[in-house]
Amino acid sequence: MTISWFQAAILGVFACLCSNSCMAGQAVGNYTIGRPLVGGLVCGIILGNLQLGIACGVAMQLVYIALVTPGGTVSADVRAISYIGIPLAMVAISSQGLNPLGGGAANLAKSVGTLVGTVGTVLYYAVATMNLVWQSFGWKDVHNGKIDKLTAVNFGWPWISHALFSFLPTMLLTYYGATAVTALRSALPMDGIAMKTLFTVGGMLPCVGIAILLRQIVGKAADFIPFLVGFTLAASLHLNLVSVTVVSLLFAVIIYEIEMSGSNNTPSKDSAAPADGPSDDDDEEDI
Amino acid sequence: METTNDMKKLDHKTLTKSFHRWFWGALTCFSQEHMQTFGYMASMLPILRKLYPKHDDQVKAIQAYTAFFNTNPMLGTVIVGVTASMEQARANGKEIDGETINDMRAGLMGPIAGIGDSLIDGTLIPILLGISLGMSTGGSPVGAIFYIVAWVLMAYFGQRFLYFRGYRFGDQAVSFLVGKQGAAVRHAIGIVGSMVVGGVLASWVNVTTSLKLRGADGKVFLNLQDKLNSIYPGLLTVLVTLFCWWLMAKKHVSAIWTMLLLVVVSLVGVLVGFFNPGLSY
Repeated sequence: MTISWFQAAILGVFACLCSNSCMAGQAVGNYTIGRPLVGGLVCGIILGNLQLGIACGVAMQLVYIALVTPGGTVSADVRAISYIGIPLAMVAISSQGLNPLGGGAANLAKSVGTLVGTVGTVLYYAVATMNLVWQSFGWKDVHNGKIDKLTAVNFGWPWISHALFSFLPTMLLTYYGATAVTALRSALPMDGIAMKTLFTVGGMLPCVGIAILLRQIVGKAADFIPFLVGFTLAASLHLNLVSVTVVSLLFAVIIYEIEMSGSNNTPSKDSAAPADGPSDDDDEEDI
Repeated sequence: METTNDMKKLDHKTLTKSFHRWFWGALTCFSQEHMQTFGYMASMLPILRKLYPKHDDQVKAIQAYTAFFNTNPMLGTVIVGVTASMEQARANGKEIDGETINDMRAGLMGPIAGIGDSLIDGTLIPILLGISLGMSTGGSPVGAIFYIVAWVLMAYFGQRFLYFRGYRFGDQAVSFLVGKQGAAVRHAIGIVGSMVVGGVLASWVNVTTSLKLRGADGKVFLNLQDKLNSIYPGLLTVLVTLFCWWLMAKKHVSAIWTMLLLVVVSLVGVLVGFFNPGLSY
């Protein structure tokens, strides 16, 4: 599989639409076009191998199932994962002759995608920094009372940041990267240490994504229990995700009822303490 | 007292326009320094143009929105709606100034960001993605298409609802989110989120060992993976995840360094025969 200039350019346009600050908006750009699962569909169509594209997208989505950007700090960049990482992973998998639906292909996709996605954070900060130029135009306009120009500041000028730091890098990296990835086959045999490590890491990377999410929801040791119950329901009882969600709703209702009755009827310290305990941080923000 | 004819009222068309500007442009001119400030100003432009016929008044009014703004852009739509209603009250001579509007914005953006991140990114999207991934197993595009349709519809109409709710009820629209009831709702959602994330991990991630100890006759007398499965299915997967959590949450190691450490762990594991993906050309 190779990537032509034309295909590389289309991938570049999609990179502009999805990467933060996304030209297609947060919900449609970042959260739809930028999702590796959707990126897999798009790359599959552009590169003409839908099945392989989706398989790579599914694998990569697992690593980034929890792409939370608290306070605008990122640990990975969706434009790089979905529109540089997935195309390169597709080329790598087909040049290695792997079964696109096998576990090996998925783990290779995760390793390639995560590497590219991590390096891609540079692009995120480059765009955000260049936008400061357009914002300085905006401040001047506000100062001079030309507020109608703000529309161009918000919707027009940032395209230049993306042309430089989304379109060009994506086009160049996918075009030249495909050749480099193909050359890997002869350099690194599949049963060698390097490839074995790469595949093993690929299998473990989603744990980091889940751990990032856990960092958001776990405050104290007891908060692990619902997480482990959910894990057990799926791993040991083989429930699917919708079923796990339904079971969890029962616990959610119970928690809600307990906290509401505890805080309304008996405002004594004993009953209020457990209800207020975990929310201390939130309460501080509220004030 | 002013008569109803003199009352300035925002029509549906102007509000929709403002909402669309936020939906598409909350983050287009993002920078680390001002974040969503310009997206906010661009969304308020249609409102200001409608309420203040004189250009000078528009320029004066927009000063309130030059203050720093950043929140969860999806749930944060409600704040834009609230400011639209406050701006309308200000244009009608109510005792609201730029500072009142900014206090409201500054007071809400923190809690809304926290709730939005845990509700949308932490709960809703893992469920939706988990379902979609299941539908796309085997390289089928159905799951990806399902995600696109379900999410875009939810995001668009959900945000639209929030915007107009914010406009109609003012900051009453979000009071339930920050009170006692809000805390209870958040904890309840937290339980759903935690359990779903556990389910996602078990359904989609599988860390296994290939370690087998053979006796002198070549027969396997210890298959470690089978032993681990008989103790607790998925034990290694949970342990690796908890290890990553411990590194990031307790040791404050960044995600990138955690990933690099996994590379080292994998390399050592491969060298001693603990891990083996078992592939060949």
